[in-house]
Amino acid sequence: MLGTRVLLAVVLSLALVAGDRFTPLGDPLRGWLTNALTPVYWLADVPTRMGDWLTTISTSRGDLIDELDTLKARMLVLERRSQRYTSLMAENNRLRELLNSSAALDDRVLVADIIGLTPDPFNHEVILDKGTRDGVLPGQAILDDSGLMGQVVHSSALSSRVVLISDNSHAVPVEVNRSGARAVLLGTGERDRLELAHVPDTVDVREGDLLVSSGLGGRFPQGYPVARVSRIERNPGEPFASVSARPMASLNSSRHVLVVFTRQSQPERQDDSRDNDGEAN
Amino acid sequence: MVMRAVNYPLFVLTVLLALVASIALFPTGLAHWRPEWLAMLVIYWVLRAPGRFGILTAWTLGLLLDVLEGSALGIHALSLSLVAALVLAAHQRLQMYPLPQQCLVVFLFVGLGQMLVHFVHQMLGIPRGGFEYLYPALSSALVWPVFLVLMDGINRKLS
Repeated sequence: MLGTRVLLAVVLSLALVAGDRFTPLGDPLRGWLTNALTPVYWLADVPTRMGDWLTTISTSRGDLIDELDTLKARMLVLERRSQRYTSLMAENNRLRELLNSSAALDDRVLVADIIGLTPDPFNHEVILDKGTRDGVLPGQAILDDSGLMGQVVHSSALSSRVVLISDNSHAVPVEVNRSGARAVLLGTGERDRLELAHVPDTVDVREGDLLVSSGLGGRFPQGYPVARVSRIERNPGEPFASVSARPMASLNSSRHVLVVFTRQSQPERQDDSRDNDGEAN
Repeated sequence: MVMRAVNYPLFVLTVLLALVASIALFPTGLAHWRPEWLAMLVIYWVLRAPGRFGILTAWTLGLLLDVLEGSALGIHALSLSLVAALVLAAHQRLQMYPLPQQCLVVFLFVGLGQMLVHFVHQMLGIPRGGFEYLYPALSSALVWPVFLVLMDGINRKLS
């Protein structure tokens, strides 16, 4: 009796594993269960929110005024920069039109919060509080304030799962910002180290170079900073140089992130309804 | 101690807590050492009420853990049903064991479950680390006495 039940469980599980891994049949079930587990995610986030709330109510008035002043100063600097940016973008578009290439339009973004980490220490994944209801779909890139963080791999109605660029199954096509050399940046499974794959010894890359997303492969939008080269080892005995880089985004500590809607992935209803709701350009 | 009546609200509450504890409330630096709360919960409830909880319960809980961990659906369901089957097969002896020996069995069962998860991941070609996957079995065994006393205490008080 026990044996039959065990056998049944094993067969059912293995069928489910194969079905979920090799076909998209498991996705509706996963989405449905994720929605059912929303209370668990919500409860798991309570300690962090309590902490945030405590910080909020215990910050003194003086500190807040100071912070407001710094933020105002910073906003002024950024506004000045964005004034120039508008004209530069117009000029850039004109030049592109002259060159007969398609205009590089600005990407839209949506602000999301990280509400959970995957409990599996071998997976570098986080969970966001925005899902298909806000138009977040698998394949979209995730940024924080300093660089590319990862991409959405699964989204249900109210939450979505993001794989970080440091996951050891992840790769980003990048180019060296200084020289334009192309390469593929691989995750290593360590939070603070990425690796450039298959870089010939002669390629123009130096320590301290900024790697930006190249947009090749069509998954990630072009031009966002991804990592900074931290170490290069050129061994004449090896076919390729070993290049390590440190991610620009703070993969461990970011709480607010941006979901990028590129022109292709942008749903139509985004255009009219979402302008006043946590969205910025 | 085999329970005559099972307190189902308590069961649901402990499941909810175990699910929350498997994704939160643990320092990130020690993530490899997080005890397998859900596996321990399955061992506890199957041990205490082998007539009520069994492979089906464990399988369902494992499926929820799969969703939480984002692993392929069915991997943890498989491993937890195996753990439940082992407990079912040995529950009469397990009740008699002194606490240290029970801890050892918990280490063994949780470790076997973890090994199965690791094995299926390897079969699917998902890269994983080395023997770190056995750390949770060790920490679960170490936490087991406290867990058992706590759960039994609550159970006795409520029934």
